[in-house]
Amino acid sequence: MDIELLEIRDFLAAHHPFDQLPGTALSELPGMLQVRYFRRDSEVSDAGNLENQLYIIRTGAVEVFNADNELLARLGEGDVFGYRASHRPNQIEHRVSALEDTLVYQLAAIDIDKLCEKHTQFAYFFGTVGGDRLRDAISQAAQVAHTQVNLITTPVRDLIKREPITIEPSASIHETAAKMAQERVSSILVIAQGQLAGIVTDRDLRNRVVAEALDVNLPITEIMTFNPTALDENAFAFQAQMHMARHNIHHLPIVRENGVAGMLTATDLTKHQTTSVVYLVSDIYKQRKIERMREVTAKIPDLLVNMAAADATADSVGHVITSITDAITTRLLQLAEIELGPPPVPYVWVAAGSQARNEQTAKSDQDNCMVIDDSYDPKEHGDYFRALAKYVCDGLDSCGYIYCPGEMMAITDRWRQPLKSWKEYFDNWIGQPEPMSLMLTCVFFDMRRVYGDRNLFRELRDHMLEQTRGNRIFLAFMAGNALSHQPPIGFFRNFVLIKGGEHNQTFDLKHNGIVPIVDLARVYSLASGSEAVNTLDRLDVVATGGEVTESGARDLQDALEFICYLRIQHQARQIRNGEAPDNFMSPDALSHFERNHLKDAFSVVRTMQNVLGQRYKM
Amino acid sequence: MSIWKFLFNLQERRNWYLRKMPAGPLRDYYESEFPLPDTEWSQADYLALDFETTGLDKHKDEILSIGYAPIRGRSLRLGESDHYLARPVSAIPESSAVIHGILDDTASGAQPLEEALPRLLKALESKILLAHHAAVEYEFLSNACRKIYGYPFIGPVVDTLALEVRIFRAKDEPIRSGDLRLDKARSRYNLPRYPAHNALIDAIAAGELFLAQAAYRKRSRPLLLKDMTVIT
Repeated sequence: MDIELLEIRDFLAAHHPFDQLPGTALSELPGMLQVRYFRRDSEVSDAGNLENQLYIIRTGAVEVFNADNELLARLGEGDVFGYRASHRPNQIEHRVSALEDTLVYQLAAIDIDKLCEKHTQFAYFFGTVGGDRLRDAISQAAQVAHTQVNLITTPVRDLIKREPITIEPSASIHETAAKMAQERVSSILVIAQGQLAGIVTDRDLRNRVVAEALDVNLPITEIMTFNPTALDENAFAFQAQMHMARHNIHHLPIVRENGVAGMLTATDLTKHQTTSVVYLVSDIYKQRKIERMREVTAKIPDLLVNMAAADATADSVGHVITSITDAITTRLLQLAEIELGPPPVPYVWVAAGSQARNEQTAKSDQDNCMVIDDSYDPKEHGDYFRALAKYVCDGLDSCGYIYCPGEMMAITDRWRQPLKSWKEYFDNWIGQPEPMSLMLTCVFFDMRRVYGDRNLFRELRDHMLEQTRGNRIFLAFMAGNALSHQPPIGFFRNFVLIKGGEHNQTFDLKHNGIVPIVDLARVYSLASGSEAVNTLDRLDVVATGGEVTESGARDLQDALEFICYLRIQHQARQIRNGEAPDNFMSPDALSHFERNHLKDAFSVVRTMQNVLGQRYKM
Repeated sequence: MSIWKFLFNLQERRNWYLRKMPAGPLRDYYESEFPLPDTEWSQADYLALDFETTGLDKHKDEILSIGYAPIRGRSLRLGESDHYLARPVSAIPESSAVIHGILDDTASGAQPLEEALPRLLKALESKILLAHHAAVEYEFLSNACRKIYGYPFIGPVVDTLALEVRIFRAKDEPIRSGDLRLDKARSRYNLPRYPAHNALIDAIAAGELFLAQAAYRKRSRPLLLKDMTVIT
């Protein structure tokens, strides 16, 4: 086609799904189009036959209705309707009415089919609606070019440099150490019948053999770690990094289907990323002073920027940032126990809110509490635990985890209580729910043990879940709470923006985008009595549990991932510009493509809120 | 309007010229069926047309490029659009090169008007010439035909500028300077702005404007060709 139709080509190139087409196909596209005009308030004169053409809105806006005259979508510049562009599953677009003076380009169905055959990414758009289209958006957003080695997309097998160094379980400690020396490795895998049986590291030889003056002729099975945690060779480097951070290990055996593939060390990973989380977390555990920990947490913004540049998924960013908070908390508790002496009675330090859910980002408050054994005597032990909580909360605060504005912290007496008091709290919240108090305490329905006695934590969590499971009265209150934050989207798919003030013409990605999904997942999860706390995990569990349809749960997962992804990119951009990261996003900062898919995501949230509202008769 | 045009309608003039006109592209055009004035507007075919010229003097200046796109059944067909350059006999004056960006170097590679004109006349067969301020296209085309074939071009014409004037008059609104320019007129109908200017995009722009004007005409009775055309 004529080069002179650049005006039209460029318009198409800027809009999804045409942005998926290569340059040559784009240049031919204008020559396939017809141009039509519809004045405001007139009907697009193809009622009932919209499927014969794809309509691309160049200027103006339209409303799309089904045969029952129900509004399916309101569309604007760059949006498409007609052939295979259905805006709701199983709904035939029957009638279209122009809301404004509207110029449309029409593309014949046969031309679309031809393009779909040749261009898979383009064809994907014309698949099913909602979730699938959103997944398409996420994968597309993740394809943005980047130059640095990407831990997110590099499989572990690509990082393994040599065949695994292995030894039989029958070997002696001495033989094992000799082989490690000969091969110049700091760890060795013990293999029985071709399968991974154990691991031995330099540290084991030091701590379990030399320090204990153990007989080196004993079999290696005496000192090896049995059935060590391992990862499949197809896992991504990033998962390995996470794994090491979570388990605080530096040697990770990599397995493949028919045996052992090799050993991945923390060094292999840190070579690829200097501000790697393994490095940060292991650094934290070495620190004895809070000031040094603050230096580590000061690197979190860099980490976020790096991960954003590497197009990390929001889920992995959440896990990484949270694992640092966990490490700081754990280290602070260890240091406090060194300073104050061992605890007089068992206790457990519990994270609440976003830390519990593994969903922290650059800007996070403290949400934590302490559950103490019922043998706790306030007169005798009160001072100890108060000092312990103060040490940790102050430490977190000086590391940048600011005091929680609602004071949901263990330093507050009310949130540092023996198990029986905690059970009473939950009995009250669940038995006599009140909207106001639920709004404040709902963070405690997201709980995760960070440090301390596992049984205390388990007992409290099980006690709580037993009462929430299927408890319709309590769940109705929680549902009401979950509907208090609405996605910032109007009835006509327009963004509803904050007017005036510091955040004029923006929307709050956290409170109006992420919180509603987190709240929904919490209700589903408490209703089913599931132990899952992370929002994606919760949605995974309930997807098969019947609280919500599987497709609904998947759509919410995709919506959450997409909104969080945008938030991370937004915060990384702010950090790069030397601004403080926040949650307020201007629609102008989004590409047309992102805007459209954010609208899809918000629509999913609103649909699921409506379903929840109906279920609990709100 | 000359006495000639006043006394004889288009069909009569066409038959008059056809008596003596030799065979060739112009005669082929004359022999094609001209849309009739009483046709419902959307039943007729149009050719949205624009020329870039070396200036505005229809006697001295020459056609540099030709762009057009047909309209059929209320829809502008980009697939049948075309755009080509014509080689002028004299050098392109700087004053016009600034506007259309066609330089002597570019134009020298183009076909002479004698070759370009048959292509255009073929495209115009059985169609209504449509342009914004159509007098320019009509007169340049007519002069070119006279020069090359010895006879003028005649045919039904729609002028989107004239239609715009009628709309202002019907509403009894004053016309201010610039109101009738293509871009300004288009903005009143929420049509997109095309920053670039060449014969094809301007022809498309005029064609879209016409679709908008037609959509906005009052529908007390069927809208006929004679309600829209300046020459019928």
